[in-house]
Amino acid sequence: MRRAWRATLAIAGLLSVQGCTAPQPTQDLLAPTEAQMKMRSFQTRTFDVKDRQLAMRGVIAALQDLGFIIERANESLGLVTAARFAEPNYYDVVGITVTVRQETEARMMIRANAIHNNKPIEDPKVYQNFFATLERSLFVTRE
Amino acid sequence: MRRWGLVATALFLSSQLAGCMTPTEPGELFQLTPESAIHRAMQTRLFETTDQTELLSASAAVLQDLGFQVEESVRDVGFLRATKERSARQYGQDIGRFLIFVLSLGHVIIPVDLHQKIAAVLIERPVNPDATRHEVRIMFYRVVWKGEGQADRQYVPPGEQKMEMLRDPVLYQQFFAKLSKAVFLEPFTL
Repeated sequence: MRRAWRATLAIAGLLSVQGCTAPQPTQDLLAPTEAQMKMRSFQTRTFDVKDRQLAMRGVIAALQDLGFIIERANESLGLVTAARFAEPNYYDVVGITVTVRQETEARMMIRANAIHNNKPIEDPKVYQNFFATLERSLFVTRE
Repeated sequence: MRRWGLVATALFLSSQLAGCMTPTEPGELFQLTPESAIHRAMQTRLFETTDQTELLSASAAVLQDLGFQVEESVRDVGFLRATKERSARQYGQDIGRFLIFVLSLGHVIIPVDLHQKIAAVLIERPVNPDATRHEVRIMFYRVVWKGEGQADRQYVPPGEQKMEMLRDPVLYQQFFAKLSKAVFLEPFTL
C-alpha cells in the first residue's frame, strides 16, 4: 500500500515538474529552415535585363499568355499580382505574386510565389514552367 | 448477400465522392497550351502610335462607354482593370428550373444565375524599342452568383459562385472597333 502511494507521488511529482518546464523559444525560431531556402532558390531567377520596367512588362505579358488575370501592379515596388481559374473547373483559383528587383546594374532578380486555393505550390516544376514562359516573353519583348 | 449489397453501395458512394474532386494539376497551369496563341491573337491588337498615355486614356474611355467602372490603373505599366455588375437572369434557366421542379414532383429546385460581375483587364505596352508601335491586350471574365435552390429536403443557400473567362470573339472585336474609332487609328492583328 505504501509503495503504491510512493509511486503515485513520484508520478505526480514528475508530471508537475514537466508542467513547469515550458518549451523555451529557441534562438533559431525565426531562422530560415532548409526547406524555406530551397523554396526560395527555385522561386527565384535572375535575368540579363537592365530596364526594370521592361522586365515588369515582360512578367505581365508572360502571365497574360498563361491566361492569368492581372489583379494588381505596382511599378515602383516591382510587384505584380495575378490569378486565374484552374480551368476546366471554375471553382479552384491559382494565384501568383511576382516581384522584380534590380540585383546589379545589368541583372534583374525575379521571384514568383504561387498558390493553389490558398495553399502554397511547392512543386519546383511549376516554377520551371513559369520561368520558361517568362524567358520567352522577355526575349520577344527585347527584340 | 446483404453484405455484398453494403460493399457495393460503399464502393458506389466512394466513386461518387471521387467524382466530386476534379483533379487539377497546378503544374499544368503554368504551361502554354495550343489555345494560348489563339486567345492571344483574339485579345490583342497593335496600334501605330507613340502616344502611350493617349492610347491608355482612350481605352479607359471606351470601357466607360461600355458601362465599366475603372477600378485600378497604373500608367507606368499601362494597366487598367474595370468592372461592371449586371443581372444574370436568363429565361431559359427559369424554364429549366420550372420543368425540373415539375418532373421531380416538387423535390428539386435548381439554383439559377442571379447576378454577375463582368471584369476587363487591359494591358498596353510598346512592342519595339523606339516605342512607335503599341500593343493593347484585353481580357474579359465574369463571376456569376447563383440564387437559392432545394434538393429534396436539403436547402441550397444562395450565393454559390461560378467564374469563367469570356472567350467570345465578337466581344473583343467590338471593343477594338470602338477603341480604333476613339484613337483614329487602324489596328493591326498579330
